[in-house]
Amino acid sequence: MTSTTEPTRTDRHKPDGHEDAATKPRVHRRGTLEYVAWAVCVLVTIGVTRTLVTNENYQWDVVAQYLTAPSIIRGLVLTVVLTFAAMFFGSVLGVVIAVLRVSPLRPVRILAGAYLTFFRGTPVLVQLIFWFNIAALYPELAIGIPFTDISQDIDVNRLISATTAAVLGLSLNQAAYQAEIVRGGFASVDKGQIEAADALGMSRLTKLRRITIPQAMPTIVPATGNQFIGMFKETSLVSVLGVAELLQSVQLVYARTYQTIPLLLVACVWYLVMTVLLSYPQSLIEKRFSRTRARVGNDPVPSQIGLIGDAK
Amino acid sequence: MNGDGTVFARGLRKSFGDRVVLDSIDLDVVCGQIVCVIGPSGSGKSTLLRCINGLEEVDRGVLRVNGEDLGFRETATSYRARKRKEVAAQRSRIGMVFQSFNLFPNMTARQNVMSGPVLVKGKPKAEAARRADALLASVGLEGHGGHYPWQLSGGQQQRVAIARSLAMDPNVMLFDEPTSALDPERVGEVLAVMKDLAERGMTMLIATHEMGFAKEVADTVMFMDGGLVVEQGAPKDVLCNPKERRTQKFLESVL
Ligand SMILES: Nc1ncnc2c1ncn2[C@@H]1O[C@H](COP(=O)(O)OP(=O)(O)OP(=O)(O)O)[C@@H](O)[C@H]1O
Ligand SMILES: [Mg+2]
Repeated sequence: MTSTTEPTRTDRHKPDGHEDAATKPRVHRRGTLEYVAWAVCVLVTIGVTRTLVTNENYQWDVVAQYLTAPSIIRGLVLTVVLTFAAMFFGSVLGVVIAVLRVSPLRPVRILAGAYLTFFRGTPVLVQLIFWFNIAALYPELAIGIPFTDISQDIDVNRLISATTAAVLGLSLNQAAYQAEIVRGGFASVDKGQIEAADALGMSRLTKLRRITIPQAMPTIVPATGNQFIGMFKETSLVSVLGVAELLQSVQLVYARTYQTIPLLLVACVWYLVMTVLLSYPQSLIEKRFSRTRARVGNDPVPSQIGLIGDAK
Repeated sequence: MNGDGTVFARGLRKSFGDRVVLDSIDLDVVCGQIVCVIGPSGSGKSTLLRCINGLEEVDRGVLRVNGEDLGFRETATSYRARKRKEVAAQRSRIGMVFQSFNLFPNMTARQNVMSGPVLVKGKPKAEAARRADALLASVGLEGHGGHYPWQLSGGQQQRVAIARSLAMDPNVMLFDEPTSALDPERVGEVLAVMKDLAERGMTMLIATHEMGFAKEVADTVMFMDGGLVVEQGAPKDVLCNPKERRTQKFLESVL
């Protein structure tokens, strides 16, 4: 071995002017399969584009005409509002149910379990129609303080409008799925963390707020982001209740004009645009939290773990 | 009578299902005593320590830590469970150091040490932070307060964990194989902190495989096997002249 810092290679100064072997790029082999796959990909793209352009039944001019029509935009806004409302109420209730699910009191656990069984075991569409028709079951709702005369009768038919039924149905259903996500997050927290907190004498609530939830976040947040995207599309179900969200808005138009396909395309375009827009922050969140997760191990990548917990 | 810093047990029994893991354990640990618990894997060392701070509930027997019945209150006919708050208060006076450190990864070293005083005792943050820095300095980690656990070596993490326990001003410290998860060259720094603590009169129960440390620091060495205390006494007796056959065999196997 020589003591020079540069590695000496026999082929370093080849007289024929060949490149230094140490700096030559490495060329990888491409299998035949990859060329075949590319060929298929190109063919499919050409085929789809051709039919989209040449088949006049798509009526792209009609699509363009209605894409930003006021009634469609109103529907889109309502869809967005429904998504955020259902995700907000659903997530909050979901966390509550997840906490009840791990309660030390057995009856509480049973009630939470029954909730999950019911809402996960029946279709959302059926639930939505059910809430819409709840007045048939309980025509009058008395809100009052038990054992006193203070009470107020409410007409359930008026209380549960189509939109209320939509938010109620989507939220209650979302809560059940969110509860499962949160429970999974809780389960991902190392048992030793809880024992360390116990050994310090932390109360149940402190443990939950300061130890369990912050450490469950890396699991919970990306999964919730996925639910968000799912919920955006799920809101189309409430069109059956006559709520004028995006799908119902286009249906109202084509019921009049019979331009069914182009109007469904309008809805598809908006759903696609919105889910792609939502996917971007989702992928950022996912990346960020997957790094956090790695750091919880022994990954020596310095970065802001302050995202979770009460870092100063 | 003040029982601070004492651990007293009579006929302690603990089983998981129908598997008896601790059987008729007696303990008389006085204030400031250093007890090293040794024994083969599965002999019940961890379980004993976990029972002493209430991570596991014993089936039967008397268990008094700091002079109080742990987790339960004695009545004429039974032991009645204490309120959760009382149990938490009892546990906050018993420090526990785990083999796997169990630092909170979402908090810095300083925040880890502050977590007990602030989140359990409700101490003001500024005061707790000053105290935390002093404690970190006392375990040789001056200036590491702002580091997260993943930025620290195993030995440093374990010293933060010791400081975190000390921040609660415990009267008894329990160590469950505190150096077993460390690289050999990091063991010394943790043992040095423990030795320092021992010299300052802390009552300590230490499950360990470090026979040299036990010989040097312990007042009493307890050899456990199969959930029983087989032999106990001064380190020079138990470690150098074991009377029991099982102790001899164990010591031959580890030395
Ligand atoms: N939660 C549990 N459920 C069932 N069995 C358990 C549980 N914890 C411990 N045990 C059993 O109790 C026995 C004693 O375990 P313990 O962890 O106390 O041994 P140890 O002396 O600390 O061993 P090691 O040196 O390997 O740490 C073992 O046989 C173990 O399998
Ligand atoms: Mg053990």
